[in-house]
Amino acid sequence: MTLRSRDTPIQRQLASIETSDGGAILHLTGDWRLPHVQAVTAALMALPKPARVVALDGGSLTALDTAGALAVLRYLQRIGADPKSAAPRNFTPHHQRIVELVAGQFAKLPSVGKPHSESYATTVGRDAVEFVELLISYVQFLGYTAAGIGTLILHPWKLRLKELAAQFQQVGITAIPVVVLVTFLIGVVIAYLLGLQAEKYGASIFVVDGVAIGMAREFSPILVAVIIAGRSGAAFTAQLGTMKLTEETDAIRVLGLSPMDVLILPRVFAIVVALPLLVFLGVVMGILGGMLMANVTLGITPATYIERLHAALHLKHVVAGLVKAPVFAFFIAIIGIRMGMTVSRDTRAIGVNTTSTVVQSIVSVILLDALFAVVFQKLGV
Amino acid sequence: MASARPAKDAILEVDGIVTRFGKQTIHDGVSFSVPRGQLVALIGGSGTGKSVLLREIIGLMRPTAGTVRLLGTDVWKASATELSKVRSRFGMMFQDGALFSSLDVAHNVAVPLLEHTNLAPELIWPLVQLRIAQAGLPPDTGVKMPSELSGGMRKRAAIARALALEPEVIFLDEPTSGLDPITARAFDKLVRFLVDDLGVTVFLVTHDLDTLLTVVDRLIVLAKGKVLADGSVSEVMETNDAWVQSYFSVRTMHGESQTKAG
Repeated sequence: MTLRSRDTPIQRQLASIETSDGGAILHLTGDWRLPHVQAVTAALMALPKPARVVALDGGSLTALDTAGALAVLRYLQRIGADPKSAAPRNFTPHHQRIVELVAGQFAKLPSVGKPHSESYATTVGRDAVEFVELLISYVQFLGYTAAGIGTLILHPWKLRLKELAAQFQQVGITAIPVVVLVTFLIGVVIAYLLGLQAEKYGASIFVVDGVAIGMAREFSPILVAVIIAGRSGAAFTAQLGTMKLTEETDAIRVLGLSPMDVLILPRVFAIVVALPLLVFLGVVMGILGGMLMANVTLGITPATYIERLHAALHLKHVVAGLVKAPVFAFFIAIIGIRMGMTVSRDTRAIGVNTTSTVVQSIVSVILLDALFAVVFQKLGV
Repeated sequence: MASARPAKDAILEVDGIVTRFGKQTIHDGVSFSVPRGQLVALIGGSGTGKSVLLREIIGLMRPTAGTVRLLGTDVWKASATELSKVRSRFGMMFQDGALFSSLDVAHNVAVPLLEHTNLAPELIWPLVQLRIAQAGLPPDTGVKMPSELSGGMRKRAAIARALALEPEVIFLDEPTSGLDPITARAFDKLVRFLVDDLGVTVFLVTHDLDTLLTVVDRLIVLAKGKVLADGSVSEVMETNDAWVQSYFSVRTMHGESQTKAG
C-alpha cells in the first residue's frame, strides 16, 4: 500500500513520496518546467523527509526541463539523500537524459549562491588606493605631456596645424554663443544684486566697480572654465575613449605616427589658447550685461558707466583673470585626455570616464582658483 | 513525419519576406520554415542580408512585406503582450555576446529570470550557476565582468543568458566568428548538445565551413534576395550555382593542397 503525504491538492499533483520496505520512492507528476518551478519547489518542501530515497519515478511527468531537474536534485541534497542512489525510473528517454545531464553538472556546481557584497571598510580602502593611483597616474601623464611639449619646442615643425585648427574650432569658436549668453546674463544678475544693496547707501555708481572687477577677476574665468570643462573636457574623453576602443589609437602608433603629436598636443594647445580668449569675451559680455541692468534699474547711463569703468577697472584685474585661464585650460585638457586614453576595453568605461572627467575638471578649476586667490592676496595683486 | 504536417510542427515560418532600403532591395520574397528540433544554418555572401533577416525574425526590424511566424505567433502583427510572451520562449546570441557591461556574468544570466519569472532568489542563483555550467564555463565565471572574458567566453556567457528561460529555439549570429579553430569546434559541440540533449531548436547564421559540414542538419542559402538552396549539406553542395560551388570549392581546394603538401 502506498502512503501519501497530506498536502494541498495542487502540490500533490506535482510530487509525492511512496514509502516501501527498501526506502522511499519519489513520484514526479505533471509539468516540471521553469514556469512551475516555484510550485514544484513548494511541493517538494511540503513532503515528509524520508531517510533514504531509492528511486525517482518520472512515469507521470508531462514535461521536464533542466530547471525542474535541478529542483528535484536540490531537494534530494537538502534532505541529505545521495542523488546518485536515487535511481531514475519510468522517465522518457529525453527526460532521463535531462536528469542525467543536470545531475552530472549539479555535482560540480559551487554551493555559493548570490555573490556577496563587500564590506564598507573594503570599499573605503579600495577607493583610497584607487585615488592615490589616480594621482600618480596624473603625475605620469603630466610628465609624458611635458616631454611631448619639450620635443615640440625643439622640433616646432612637428606641430600639426591642421589638427590644431580643427580642435580650436571645436573648443573655441563653437563655444562662443554659449559663453556670450551665460556671461551676459551673469553680468545682468550681478548688477541687479549689487544695485539693490548699493542703492540703499546712495552708492549706485559703485555697481560698475563690482560688476567689472568681479567679472574680470572671478566670474568670467570660473564660469567659462566650467562651461569648457563640461563641453570640451567631456568631448575629449568620449572621443579618445572611442578611438581607444576601436583601436584607432593603436592604428596611429602602427602607422608610425605619435598619439602625442596627433591627438594630445593639438587638444592641449587648442584649449590653452582658446580659454583665455573666451574668458576675455566673457568679461566684455558681463560688463555689457551690467551696463544694461544699471541703465534700466539704477538710471546709470552707458556714458557714465564707461567713464566709471575707466576709473575702476585697472589692468591688473583683467590680467589676474586672464592669467588663470591657461592654467585652468591645461588642467581640463590633461584630465579629459588622460581619462579618454585610459578607457578600458568595454563601452561602459566611456560613460564612467566622461562623467569622471567633468567632475574632476570642475573640482580642480575651483581648487586652482582658490590657490590663485591666496597667491594674489600674498602678492597684493 | 515532419513533412506530413509542417505547419503544426514548425517553430519558425518565414513567408515572402521583402526588405527594401530606399531603392535597394535586400530580400525579394524569402520563404522557408524550420521544424522543431533541427539545427539550421543560414549562409550567404556579405551584403545578402542575413543579419537583417535574423533581426526581422526576432522582431527587431520590420520587413517591407511578408510574414514571420515564430512559435505560432505572427511577430509583426502580434500585440506587445503577445510579443513579450514569445520573447520569453526564444533566446538570441548576438555576434559579440552583447553582454551588459555593467553587470557581472551571473547577473547577466539572471536578467531574463528576474524579469520574466517570479522565482525566489534561492531558486534563481542555483539556476544561474546551472546555466553557466551548461554553457561550458568554469563555475567562477559568474563573478567576472564581461570585460574580463575572452571572446569565446563572452559567447558562452551569451549562450548561458540565452538559455536562461529554457527557450524552445535559440538564434545565433555568427557563433564561431573571431574564435580560434579549437574553440570554434568546442562551440560547435556545445550547439549540437543544445539540440540533441536539451531538445532546443537552433537557427544560426554562419560562414564557418567546419560548422556547416560537421554539425548542421540543414542549410539555407540566401543569394540575390531569394533562397537559392535549402536542404542537407550534401544536397546544397550539389546545387548547380556558381556562388554555392565556389563557396564550397574553397574548402576542397584547401584540402587538396594539404594532401599534396603531405
